[in-house]
Amino acid sequence: MSSLWIVVIGVVVIYAAYTLYARRIDRTVIASDPNKSTPARMYMDGADFMPTSRFVLYGYHFKSIAAAGPIVGVITAANLWGWLPSILWLMIGVSFIGWASDYSAIMMAVRNDGNSLSAIAHRLISPRTRRILFVFIFFYLLLIAGAFVGIMAAILASRPDVPFGILVLAIMGLFGGYAIYRMRMSIIGVTILTVGLTIAAMALGPLGATFETGKAPNWSTAPIAGAVNSFNTSINAGPLWTTVDPTNADPRIPAPGADGKRPTTPAYNAASGEINILPSFLLASLLLLIFSYIGANTAIWRFAQPVNYIGFWITAIVILVSAVGAVLAPFTNASVAAFKVDAFKGFAPTIAGGALQPLWPMLFVTIACGAISGWHALFGSVGTARQLEYETDALPVGGGAMFSENTLGLLSLTAVAIAGGAGAGAFAAGVGNLINVASFGAIGVPFGTALGFGAFVVIVLTVVQLVFRVMRVTLGEWLGDRWVGFKNQHVASVTGMVLSMALVLSGTWVYLWQLFGASNQLLAALSLLLVTVWLRSVGKNPAYAGIPMVFMYVTTMAATVVTAYNLFVTIATRPGQALISVLGAWAMVAVSILLLVAAALIAWDAWQAWNRYRTAPPEEARVPTAA
Amino acid sequence: MNEQVRGQRSSGLRAALREFAYGMTGYEFARHAIETRAALENLFMVVVVGDMIGVPVIPPYYSLRLLPLVTPDIVRWKRRVLRERDFTDLHDHHLHGV
Repeated sequence: MSSLWIVVIGVVVIYAAYTLYARRIDRTVIASDPNKSTPARMYMDGADFMPTSRFVLYGYHFKSIAAAGPIVGVITAANLWGWLPSILWLMIGVSFIGWASDYSAIMMAVRNDGNSLSAIAHRLISPRTRRILFVFIFFYLLLIAGAFVGIMAAILASRPDVPFGILVLAIMGLFGGYAIYRMRMSIIGVTILTVGLTIAAMALGPLGATFETGKAPNWSTAPIAGAVNSFNTSINAGPLWTTVDPTNADPRIPAPGADGKRPTTPAYNAASGEINILPSFLLASLLLLIFSYIGANTAIWRFAQPVNYIGFWITAIVILVSAVGAVLAPFTNASVAAFKVDAFKGFAPTIAGGALQPLWPMLFVTIACGAISGWHALFGSVGTARQLEYETDALPVGGGAMFSENTLGLLSLTAVAIAGGAGAGAFAAGVGNLINVASFGAIGVPFGTALGFGAFVVIVLTVVQLVFRVMRVTLGEWLGDRWVGFKNQHVASVTGMVLSMALVLSGTWVYLWQLFGASNQLLAALSLLLVTVWLRSVGKNPAYAGIPMVFMYVTTMAATVVTAYNLFVTIATRPGQALISVLGAWAMVAVSILLLVAAALIAWDAWQAWNRYRTAPPEEARVPTAA
Repeated sequence: MNEQVRGQRSSGLRAALREFAYGMTGYEFARHAIETRAALENLFMVVVVGDMIGVPVIPPYYSLRLLPLVTPDIVRWKRRVLRERDFTDLHDHHLHGV
């Protein structure tokens, strides 16, 4: 297997799924009609409702959904089950479920006056569904924040070449917002300047370091990375406490050496299998929170939006350069293009400590966003749906953008598979190899790998600051009426950050990620459930949404139970664990149970709604009306 | 296929690519600027003709002087301010990129 085959498989499957299946559903079930008025045309107000070209919307929607999710999930899954199950789920998931979720949520909003998912849930299912959705969204955000801060802090603490790029990203974010909105500078000029300087800083970080094959980089010869490394060494007197990851997916656990054994590092004790929580890890986490605090509490145009914009460009450049490398590699350097990760590691890989990682259901929550994501449906219904000029634009915009996001997951899989090993390190090494090929050897593999690490952190960090922003808003909306303090943005931000940090410092990263994946996929199942009930209510065949919904519902609920069991067996009741880790494990078990109960309540309400609509005559599809 | 058809297809593709690039880059900033302006206009309308939605905040004399200027926007403004909004609706620009 080589990288070229991934490209071929991706192109063929996506083309077939789009033309043979998605278009058919659009024509026969939804029956999109270009002559029907969309909310954008009926309620045009020049701001929220505005008819927009489908090409502009496609770019906008794609930019809004292409983030770190497809990267992190794939590199974790390839490590646990191999590349074959990962690519199968990516392709099958996006072909039958992913596009259907995004597209249907948009069309449902279009046919319901441009209302949001929660408003439609309130009308179609029950008022309780709307409230439960709040709880869901908050815990979804909490888990994603914990998982992302955890993985980034681990990289920042172990890679002294990365922090400089992050510092410059923050400065460029502040400058970019001011330059565009206040100085009214050309967006092209600002883009070139801010993205160019951020990439330059990412390259300056590792500049001067000595890289030798098979050895850890020597940072002392690099002016910037050397200084950061010296500082980290000076504060790392010893571990604050220890934790464990039975799956070995934590980024702090080094890949096995030539002898097949994992080496002991400052952050990892090979003899006991414990991960050391070092002061540098704690410091990196705090710095990330400060960055996110600025993003969450300043006006969105001042920091969060331009930082996200710069991050998007870095994502796009990494995709483009790596894709070129993936296509060229089989012809110019076949050994680079060959896959080094096992194709299949078994249906239930053996995990230390009695943890369970069965392929079903865990693969389907570990790879979340590249195959299907609930978040897309949530914002697609309030953003994109109100700007569609014609109903027939919904498929190329919603479905097309989801298929495009899937390519990001495929690229991530290619990078990990050609590098061998696991985790963010393997992704960075794979990107390094592809950059080396795409630049015809001008950029060395170690330097490319360093850029891969920097790009990974930038991509993830730009997402995290927005996550904290949404989290404070959600907390204010959800609990603000019970205690007015949560309406204060600083109190809400700090509360969200403290809870996330508790998960980062006490939890086990892989469980945190899988719980996030489960909440994300449950959100997708909820959106498909709404679509199913809506189609039933208007007398249409809901099978294309209903069957994937049942699969995702059962799968994600099972995955939540398995994760809770894993936490219970491997940490909560394991002798000799640090108290903080045990408390963290119990907290995550509680979150699992909460998600499970919330999902069960929504399913029960939906079942009652389904029966209501099954016996009632089909209601007319709601046609937008003028005010 | 004659030259004219080929030329039309080529320019159509160029326009599509240009719009796609705009959608990925400048559109987000443009939308945010439009929403900010719309919020200020809402405020202005509330001050001028707020009594139409039950907020009498300005003496009718000034409202009447300004009425000819704001009349074309009244229907759109009423729809915008009276529409029910939930959390995801109010903060949709926060959700992008997550």
